[in-house]
Amino acid sequence: MSWARTARAIVAFTVLVLLHYTLRPLLGWRTPVDFLVIAVLLSAVRVRPGAAALIGFCTGLIADSLTPSAFGAGALAMTGVGAAASWLKAVFFADNVVLHGFFFFVGKWAFDIVYVTAERRMQGVELATQLLLWSPLSAALTAVAGVVLLLMLRPVLEPQAA
Amino acid sequence: MARAVRSGTRVDTVLLVACCAAALLATVLPVNLREAIASGLRRTVVAPLVSLQQQAERGRSAFLSREETTSRLDSVSLRNMQLARLEAENDRLRALLGLGRQLQWGFVSAEALRSFAIGEDHQRTLTVGSNAGVEAKTPVVAPEGLVGMVLSVDPTQSIAILWTHRDFAASAMSADRSAYGIVYPHLSESRTGEGIPPERYLLELRGVAFRSALKPGTAIVTSGLGGVYPAGIPIGIVLGELQTSEGWARTYLIRPAVRPPDVSNVIVLLPKRVEGQSLEPIWRSTLSADSAARRIAAAGDSMARRVTADSLRAVEAAAAKRAADSVARTGGAPRGAVEAPAPGAASARPTPGGTDTTRRAAPRPDTTRPRAPQPQPQRPQGTSP
Repeated sequence: MSWARTARAIVAFTVLVLLHYTLRPLLGWRTPVDFLVIAVLLSAVRVRPGAAALIGFCTGLIADSLTPSAFGAGALAMTGVGAAASWLKAVFFADNVVLHGFFFFVGKWAFDIVYVTAERRMQGVELATQLLLWSPLSAALTAVAGVVLLLMLRPVLEPQAA
Repeated sequence: MARAVRSGTRVDTVLLVACCAAALLATVLPVNLREAIASGLRRTVVAPLVSLQQQAERGRSAFLSREETTSRLDSVSLRNMQLARLEAENDRLRALLGLGRQLQWGFVSAEALRSFAIGEDHQRTLTVGSNAGVEAKTPVVAPEGLVGMVLSVDPTQSIAILWTHRDFAASAMSADRSAYGIVYPHLSESRTGEGIPPERYLLELRGVAFRSALKPGTAIVTSGLGGVYPAGIPIGIVLGELQTSEGWARTYLIRPAVRPPDVSNVIVLLPKRVEGQSLEPIWRSTLSADSAARRIAAAGDSMARRVTADSLRAVEAAAAKRAADSVARTGGAPRGAVEAPAPGAASARPTPGGTDTTRRAAPRPDTTRPRAPQPQPQRPQGTSP
């Protein structure tokens, strides 16, 4: 990856992180859009799995710093999601909006599953409600937002065919 | 090549395992250690993001509370508007109290209720009637000046016409007594199109002798002629001369002292107070009506009231002394005759113009008819206002 593409990817990543800490609290939805997951997924498909895991770990640690009770859970979930996305990136290089949406949906849902499990705070019905209702809804919203952002950022993030 | 790929894969695996191990370790760290690490991150790397998040949450809170804020602002504005109205009403009531204090006796205060029926714009229903001593053709005044006249009386209420009524007329004079005339509502601008023209809320001073030229700003007060209105009640201020076809007399346009929308609480002067009593000391006719109203309002103030009460006590003591002297000189009339409630106060406040020569057995209405020569000290007679 050239330096220019790296710089553009870093800019896009930064913008998404900023959106996570500005637009998300501003909207205040019950099922929020997870811009950090989108940022990690879009970065992970452009780097090797090890680097993707590292990016996920750092991003998760940043997110965990604001929720000390679940410290480490976000880092673990982001690490897993980033590494898995990097290994599966060949699937998502296909220029298909539906596939990209599915990619974001699965990534967010997987993140939530790992996060809630590692957090060990919810149990029983609450856990099931979270994982089977709120997490899919949040994942769906994240997928929609991810596709929209991907279309908007395509001139910046478009992988070079040559 | 294959070795490089294997090496890269090995590095990736190591990194993944290391990250996962570090994350798992973070989840099982003691609480104080986790808090310390999280706090360190919040104070350094994440500080700008935390600041952004806080600002965004504040913005959301402000956005969500905007309706509540708006409704609260509306409520405050509404109360503020009511407050202004209440302040104005308080001022008026205080001025009315001051006027009552100055009058001392021979009056009743009343609410002037507006009737919204068609054709009744120029009259008010007063909340006092014959039970309170009110009679027809008694004057209605406000702290600013003359309001109108009682038209009809019931036991508990009465109907009064305002000075805007077409039947209103009052004998008037300039404050310096240099010119006399009859005041009428200015009806020349009748209803044209929609609404009432603003000129309709002015007065005319008719029948002023041609030699008596009045300058704009001259105060006009009731003259006491005709017996309906006692002398000295402010009517208004001269705005200018009206050009009329009459060559023998002048007509002036008068800006009234009392605005009809302000007529809410009034004072009805009872017949005993009207008979031969000059009210010039109360509304200092040499001053403008506005300043007189301010002074009357000030008299309603507690401080001013106290000062006024002190001065009144002094005047009453002086009057009592004079009465005692006169009794001693004549050696006849008992002291109680001097101390009759109403005349005692009247005698204590002598009129600047001397004794009132307009006292008559019965009230006589004002007139615009040419005056017939009559022996002094009788004044011109009139018709019903």
